[in-house]
Amino acid sequence: MSQLPNQTASKSLWADSVLRLKKNKGALVSFYFVSLVCLIAVFAEVLSPYPFHKQHIDHLLESSSSKFWLGTDSLGRDVFSRIIYGARMSMAIGIFTAIISMVIGTIYGGISGWVGGRVDSIMMRAVDILISIPSLVLLILVKVVFDSIAFFENPELRALTGMLLALSVVGWVTLARVVRGQVLQVKELTYIEAARALGSPSWKILFKHVFPNILGPIVVLLTFQIPSNILIESFLSFIGLGLQPPYSSWGVLASDGWRSMRSYPHLILYPSMALGFTMLAFNLFGDGLRDAFDPKLKGKS
Amino acid sequence: MRFLFLLFICIFSLSFQTGCKKKNSKGDYGLALNDTLRVRIATEPPSLDMQKMSDNTSSYIAENIMDGLVVFDFKSAEVGLAPALATEWKSSNQAKNWEFKIREGVKWSDGQPFEPQHVVDGWERLLNPNTASNYSYFLYNIKNAKAYNEGKLKDFSQVGVKVEGNLIKVELDGAMPFPFLLTHQSTFPVRKDIISKFGDKWTEPGNIVTLGEYNLKKWEHDRALVVERNPLYWGKPSKTKNVIFYIIQEDQTAINLFDAGKIDFLRTLPSKELSHLRKRPEFVSYPYLSITYYGFNTKRAPTDNLLVRKALVHAIDRTKITTMLQGGQRPLSGWAPYGMFGHNPNVGLAFDPVRAKKYFQEAGYGESNPFPKMEISYNTNEDNKRIAENIQAQLRENLGIQAEIKNEEWKVYLETLKVNPSHFFRMGWVGDYPDPHNFFDIMLSYADNNHTGWENLEYDKLIEQAVTFVEDKAKRLEMYNKAHKILVEEDVPVFPIFTAVAHNLVSPRVVGMPKNVMFIFPLKNVSLQ
Amino acid sequence: MIEKIKDLSIGNVFALAFGATALSAVFLNLTNYEVPGGLIWALAFELFFGLGIYAYQNNSIIYCLKRIGEALVTLFVIATATFILLRVMPGGPFDADKALPPQIKANIEKKYGFDKPLSVQYINYIKGVVTLDFGESYKYIGRSVGDIISESFPASFTLGIYAFLLSFLIGVPLGLFAAARHNTFWDNFAMTVSISGVALPNFLFGALLILIFSIKLNILPPAMWETPAHYILPVITLGIRPAAFIARLTRSTVLDVIGSDFIRTAKAKGLSQGAVMYKHVLKNSLIPVLTYSGPLLAGILSGSFVIEMLFAVPGIGKHLIQGVTNRDYPLILGLTLLYSVLLVFSNLIVDLLYSFFDPRIRLA
Repeated sequence: MSQLPNQTASKSLWADSVLRLKKNKGALVSFYFVSLVCLIAVFAEVLSPYPFHKQHIDHLLESSSSKFWLGTDSLGRDVFSRIIYGARMSMAIGIFTAIISMVIGTIYGGISGWVGGRVDSIMMRAVDILISIPSLVLLILVKVVFDSIAFFENPELRALTGMLLALSVVGWVTLARVVRGQVLQVKELTYIEAARALGSPSWKILFKHVFPNILGPIVVLLTFQIPSNILIESFLSFIGLGLQPPYSSWGVLASDGWRSMRSYPHLILYPSMALGFTMLAFNLFGDGLRDAFDPKLKGKS
Repeated sequence: MRFLFLLFICIFSLSFQTGCKKKNSKGDYGLALNDTLRVRIATEPPSLDMQKMSDNTSSYIAENIMDGLVVFDFKSAEVGLAPALATEWKSSNQAKNWEFKIREGVKWSDGQPFEPQHVVDGWERLLNPNTASNYSYFLYNIKNAKAYNEGKLKDFSQVGVKVEGNLIKVELDGAMPFPFLLTHQSTFPVRKDIISKFGDKWTEPGNIVTLGEYNLKKWEHDRALVVERNPLYWGKPSKTKNVIFYIIQEDQTAINLFDAGKIDFLRTLPSKELSHLRKRPEFVSYPYLSITYYGFNTKRAPTDNLLVRKALVHAIDRTKITTMLQGGQRPLSGWAPYGMFGHNPNVGLAFDPVRAKKYFQEAGYGESNPFPKMEISYNTNEDNKRIAENIQAQLRENLGIQAEIKNEEWKVYLETLKVNPSHFFRMGWVGDYPDPHNFFDIMLSYADNNHTGWENLEYDKLIEQAVTFVEDKAKRLEMYNKAHKILVEEDVPVFPIFTAVAHNLVSPRVVGMPKNVMFIFPLKNVSLQ
Repeated sequence: MIEKIKDLSIGNVFALAFGATALSAVFLNLTNYEVPGGLIWALAFELFFGLGIYAYQNNSIIYCLKRIGEALVTLFVIATATFILLRVMPGGPFDADKALPPQIKANIEKKYGFDKPLSVQYINYIKGVVTLDFGESYKYIGRSVGDIISESFPASFTLGIYAFLLSFLIGVPLGLFAAARHNTFWDNFAMTVSISGVALPNFLFGALLILIFSIKLNILPPAMWETPAHYILPVITLGIRPAAFIARLTRSTVLDVIGSDFIRTAKAKGLSQGAVMYKHVLKNSLIPVLTYSGPLLAGILSGSFVIEMLFAVPGIGKHLIQGVTNRDYPLILGLTLLYSVLLVFSNLIVDLLYSFFDPRIRLA
């Protein structure tokens, strides 16, 4: 059967990749850093000294002290706690959007590439059209439209919906293109042609052979999508289309801080640092991952 | 052959380079710095068409290049009026008929003499449905004006405006302080010949004809407008020869440029930097006629309950909000803003958490019957957000209410207000003219700006009557006090919070920058050191 | 010398002329002269005919026409989609700060044709699109969308072109440098530096530059768009992100190409490191960079809201965002289509350049 050699091949490919990744110190450190941020995001309630919305009216705009480690903002809220909760929102936005885009993009690109022919060209035309609309306009339109519709009862989710949808609408297109390209390549491989000749159903081949083979590039792309989503979110916050208060992401905190940069540098400094280091870590990790997954570079390091 | 072709193309491209101009390399359009005032505007003025403009950037320019029949007089404690294109005016028939005597010898910037007909032309244009002006309703009090604007009446001669010699006679439907309206740019005179000649482009420099203290010299869209002293001006010539209005959108950028000495005057400052900026010697602040308030949706439970509204109002401390904003805003419990006729500091419900709890229990809410979900909403804006979050926190602290905050982008917000506003929604009002009527009439039961759904016929009647007592101030004040009581003590459909304060940065080289309650900036008396 | 020039094909003549014209435009611009409108037209003319001749020589005229035909369909769909999206969006263009009496609102809506049924509005709108007349802005009274674009595009264009050039001038050499020293300290260093360039959002990076160079050191103007000195900070802020991306892209493709067989052959033949790098590696690795530069050019030329706002550049980017907040339908539509046209054309140029860099690629 054709499954056997393939599975061992992909397994060793994975093992190989992980091995190469472990050798890359920068990527490894970044990976630990990103994991740490994720943990902070999950355990925000436990870690933050105050609830993120607690206003200390007598302590407006104070700089660092033993009571408020990173100072307070214009409503007297603890900046440190807000950064910790901001991690939750920022990471949620980054990761969920990336996952949504990945699911849509993989299905769309997979179908398009696998079926091919006329369907492929029509589906790709649609993608071309979506790409030709300035992403900014699309982002804003989708955000405004969906912010006015309340899908969820949970306030935290409701604050996120518009943002998630807007970012996903813009984000899935790139993934769809990459997946399609990969599927087109993989489709021509001999063992897949063999499986087809043997009459295996398409979905089986797709899930058993095609997707495991293209998982590498997708995962790499995903690690780059997360930071870019977080950045776009901060940009939207900057133009006043950020999350619904009192929730705030790092983007909201940084752009708020920017507006009082001269008087209260601590309001811009710490959120920017959190944002910047996380971006750096994601990108370094992504780079390492790409190098590790790229078979062409095998044996060079 | 190909070589010749290359040569041809090179010559062809180079030929375009002859006669190219040096850009304004010195900056400031090459104007002498010691005679040029440089101020900042935050957006490109949407229009310089007097009748069509509806925003405060456009009117900033308009009030410097045009004049109306009268101007504000800020010398007295309460804002009055001083002559401009009209030298004198008087009313008869209990302020229903008005007569304006037009100044003679005034010239437009193209040298043509100014005539009373130009004023009437302006009014006709304002009311003409084809102009589609936002401010047509300004003249609705003139007899038949509304019908003309609605297109029901085609003949303008039936509208209550007449020119007799150098007099303009106006006939109103009901009495009102009519001259105040004439300070507004929408009632300024126009030159119909110029407009018909250039169409919508008549406001461009070179086309536009005005008669104010400055002439529009240059308008580089999205970058700057340059105005220059009008040599034909009827009054005292402006002290500074040129003014450049630089279009700089972002507050932080504007402050950077101010610090770099590129800009002399900022009329708005970022609220979050105020506590830092107010320590600077260039900082100036003063209140202007405006109210920031929250309205209740009186058609939606639980805020349809008077007791709930009273409880909520008693539970919020205004001074906490103004302290938090650090902008020096004046807390306001009444409806007429600080600094205006009719202002009453002793009216309204004060902060009183004990009474708040009492009303809250009377309304039937407490441990056993938790308060239902309540929505606080505002339009997306930095300060609005802080205010809303503060109110949310105060309600949680004083009544244990978990209110939810909702913000919407401005245009969406306006639409929601019309359809079904949140329980507690932010709104504001900036005076068009310094008369309490301009503030009280927004809460009339039929007013388009009353989004609360609140109706009180007694209030309506009081406001409608009060405006007719133009000559009897004491009587008028008494009526406004009554209206005040209904509005902010008995029915409480609204929760006034504060009168806003203007914050400016004025460069030390600038002398005589205006500070007034109308937040307007005529620059003719500004001089430079 | 002249013999050599004689050998040039007409296509190359156009390419040279285009380069010369472009260089002189840049020179004029940087020496603080106004770039004459004629020069811009000459550039457009040369670009158009040069591409036409190039396409003709490569037998790809039909390909180009096909692409343009497809683009027209795309534009039509985008126009329709934008129309629908805008009408679905809550909030109308004529809701004013102070609520208007219904009659006044009716007057305004009548003036702009909002009283007609939606289908009629759509047809009128498509008519306008076909005749390239997008109508008047709803916000800026009396200014047509064409006026707004032609007045604000030059600043965005200048800013964009310099940022584009900057990103190539930094990105490609940095990528080559890192690739040549693969897996050394310098490689890691160069890559970490370039990643740092993308780690901060534009507005924070720009604010940082202003803080250092304008406020602390006081050597560059903090904002406004007057002399070339004013260009420096916004160009860097806009160019840093694509530069970092191009550096990483160049590095990884160069590494790919180095590993391929024909390079090994070339090395085995005894060609020097430099010759291999330049002749084979660089030319072959530019293709992914080119692919990226098409959308980059379109995006960068159509303006960046944040940078224009931060540095008070009178460009087109802010109209895109303010157009949406003001619900200025004609303006949003005009700008969206402008972006799409830019994108289509820059992608077409990129595709034509492919076959220039890699003759194996045939366009059909």
